[in-house]
Amino acid sequence: MKFVSGDLAKTRDALKKLLPAEDILTFPFRAAGGLDFCAVFADPVTDKELLGEQVVRALLPYDGPHRAEEIAKRVTSPELRIERTLEGLAKEVLAGNPVLLFSDMDAAVVVGTKKLFLRSISEPSTDIAVKGPREGFIEDVKVNTSLVRRRLKTEELRIEMLEVGRRSQTTVALCYLEGTAADGVADEVRNKLREIDIDFVADSSYLTHFLSARPYSLIKQVGSTEKPDIFCAKLAEGRVGLLADGSPIALTVPYLFVEDFQSSEDYFVPAYRATFTRLLRLFALLVAIYLPAFYVAAQLFKLQLFPIRLLLTIAGSIRDIPFSPSLEMLIVLFVLEILNEASVRMPKYVGMALSVVGALVLGETAVSAGFVSTPAIIIIAFSGIGLYAVPNLIEETSVVRLAMLLIAGSVGTYGIILATGFILYRLVTTENFGSPLFAPFAPTVGRDLRDSVLKYNMGSLKKRPVSIGSPNRRRMK
Amino acid sequence: MSKISPRQLYFFLACVAPVGKLVLLPTHLANIAGNDFLYPLLVQYVIGAAAVFCTLLLVRRGKTLPVLLEEVCGKAVSRILCTLLSLFLFYATLVPLLEQKTFVQSVFYDTLPSLAAFAPFFLFAAYLMAAPLERQGRMWDLLAPVAAVGLAGILVLSFGSADYGALLPAVSMGFKSFSEGTMSATSWFYDSAILLTMLGKVEEEKGIAVKGMLFYLLGGAAVGLFFATFCAVFADTAVNQLFAFSKTSKYFAGITVLGRIDYFFIFLLAMVMAFYCVLPAQAGVDLLVGAFHKPRFLGPAVAVLLAAAYFTVSVSLDYRFGELVKAVTSTSFWVFPVFTVLAPVLLLALRGGRRES
Repeated sequence: MKFVSGDLAKTRDALKKLLPAEDILTFPFRAAGGLDFCAVFADPVTDKELLGEQVVRALLPYDGPHRAEEIAKRVTSPELRIERTLEGLAKEVLAGNPVLLFSDMDAAVVVGTKKLFLRSISEPSTDIAVKGPREGFIEDVKVNTSLVRRRLKTEELRIEMLEVGRRSQTTVALCYLEGTAADGVADEVRNKLREIDIDFVADSSYLTHFLSARPYSLIKQVGSTEKPDIFCAKLAEGRVGLLADGSPIALTVPYLFVEDFQSSEDYFVPAYRATFTRLLRLFALLVAIYLPAFYVAAQLFKLQLFPIRLLLTIAGSIRDIPFSPSLEMLIVLFVLEILNEASVRMPKYVGMALSVVGALVLGETAVSAGFVSTPAIIIIAFSGIGLYAVPNLIEETSVVRLAMLLIAGSVGTYGIILATGFILYRLVTTENFGSPLFAPFAPTVGRDLRDSVLKYNMGSLKKRPVSIGSPNRRRMK
Repeated sequence: MSKISPRQLYFFLACVAPVGKLVLLPTHLANIAGNDFLYPLLVQYVIGAAAVFCTLLLVRRGKTLPVLLEEVCGKAVSRILCTLLSLFLFYATLVPLLEQKTFVQSVFYDTLPSLAAFAPFFLFAAYLMAAPLERQGRMWDLLAPVAAVGLAGILVLSFGSADYGALLPAVSMGFKSFSEGTMSATSWFYDSAILLTMLGKVEEEKGIAVKGMLFYLLGGAAVGLFFATFCAVFADTAVNQLFAFSKTSKYFAGITVLGRIDYFFIFLLAMVMAFYCVLPAQAGVDLLVGAFHKPRFLGPAVAVLLAAAYFTVSVSLDYRFGELVKAVTSTSFWVFPVFTVLAPVLLLALRGGRRES
């Protein structure tokens, strides 16, 4: 570790050697008392106007001692720090904070005049609520922590700033409520974050791999949300949250599978309505996963599963189809996945054209040409819609749907049953941060069932979920 | 993974264990005991409940079966006894396994499927057998409501076509049929032997033995109701109705309009059955691992070997399943009470292995 020396030129050169990039600039100026200063800053991420206003203008009349603490008192920025190591200075410059060097210095002054390029706070496209707050997290961790702080005005809220990533040095805010967060979870998360040895963290989703007990499992083990109200509600239940700089997606642990069937809106509408919509989401997801598989299995292995009239209709529509039922369904599914992928990536103005091409040309023409049958298109369309009823599980459920379809085409309904049993077994035996993923169903936690697929009135939810393991059980008197 | 909770154990006894008795046993008993087929079932459940009670009394000692035996008879004898119990459990798996196979082939496929249709089951079985038994507890939390909904659904769909008058006269076949039925039904009642392997892995609770027994009898009552409904639907033709729970509800009036909606409930029960039919083997592997203290190596190795052995047996006995059932139920039926009734009673009588106060 190298320390700053009293020689301004020497320190400046040493710092420039550490930061040879061309966008690292220096700005020398002399104060009225004859003291030489040099501001070193990263051009693209430093607010030069603030630097001029709060630092240069403030120090021009300076005629005091050559001591960092005295100089810092004259600078009008509210965010100041004294730094003595060259490595520390380099880190601050890269973070957008200019450092102020001067002749005969004992230490350098770091000034917080970072330039922020922020998009405005808007409603996240993945979590839209008709009733309730519409704010969403953005890419700046400080703004995000302020959104959290605004909702949780308690001294128990802890926000610890950690750095992850050798090169990106991404700031990750570890948030929890002291005394409410499950015992040991914050420590465990902190330790896991410190152990991460990766050069670049582009998004908070990079961290999920390191926070999962079974990192290679298909099963999701870390919760995520883009909305501060949900994030704060989860902290208040006893979870620990993570906000990564550069990512609008916050992570929460421990994660329960049932979380993704809950929406923030469920808490703003009457309980009966919330229960109904949760059941609807569950039904939609089950239909999305199993409908194509059972349709294929029934056609191939057990025609009795269809009512006789429906069977006649299906028989009529598949009569001239050149593919086997499973291949036909796979083709339609792949077309849907490709259309979905393309519509997400392509410019919005092409989206309308894509809908026309997808729905009319591919759908209508493929049926009339006899490539695929109408029931297959209806089933895949229904399945596609159903999958989006639980948007947070799309990555997992789309893979499960494909797997079920392949199993149904090769082994039939019994294969689907076994695969379901296997998935359920994996779900119930997965634990993360001490909480069973499939709680409150397995293990059954009677009280927690009140806010699972069912939703009781607020008056019945006086205690925090047992499954999370919060030491502070009561949340309402 | 934590221990099996008493609730999970009760769920197993009341909801999961009965599912294994719904496939061939009703037809088998109807064949032997005619209208009197409920009496052998009643006797088996009373004996089974007593055995469950005795086994669950041992839970209070807080020790696993190998440790319990080791303290009384020494390490070598303990290992021999545990191996014998494991072998029995592997043997007990045979009937439900082949029962499941023939059930799947007949009910889930319009035409006889290839062997590949049932082959994935052995992968599933190998995976389960290699896993610790404690994990099963959480699965019972989930399987219990699934089994309850499955059985209730089938019963509800069947009531409309049931004529309970077909159960009369209540006593018609005589003692010989009754005793024959009782003896041959032993092959389906091995739950207390499975419980033996769970000793030391179940959380203690006051009155666990009594509650366990009552939940077991509750499950028995559900099986009895199903048997009665099965007989009420098919009357004299019940003896020809293999795979009872897949057929009882097929006369539901709404099927012509809605299709075989009863298959939804059959699927639910089939999933529970898939777990239940692997359970004895899983318990056996877990016991061996506990007795020989080599979990990393022994568990997966025995699980894979067993799954391969079961696969070979199922392939080689493809068309001789009836003969196997006959052999098990009429010639080696006596093995079952030795391990399911006698073993818990003897263990209870043993002075050693009691927890120090």
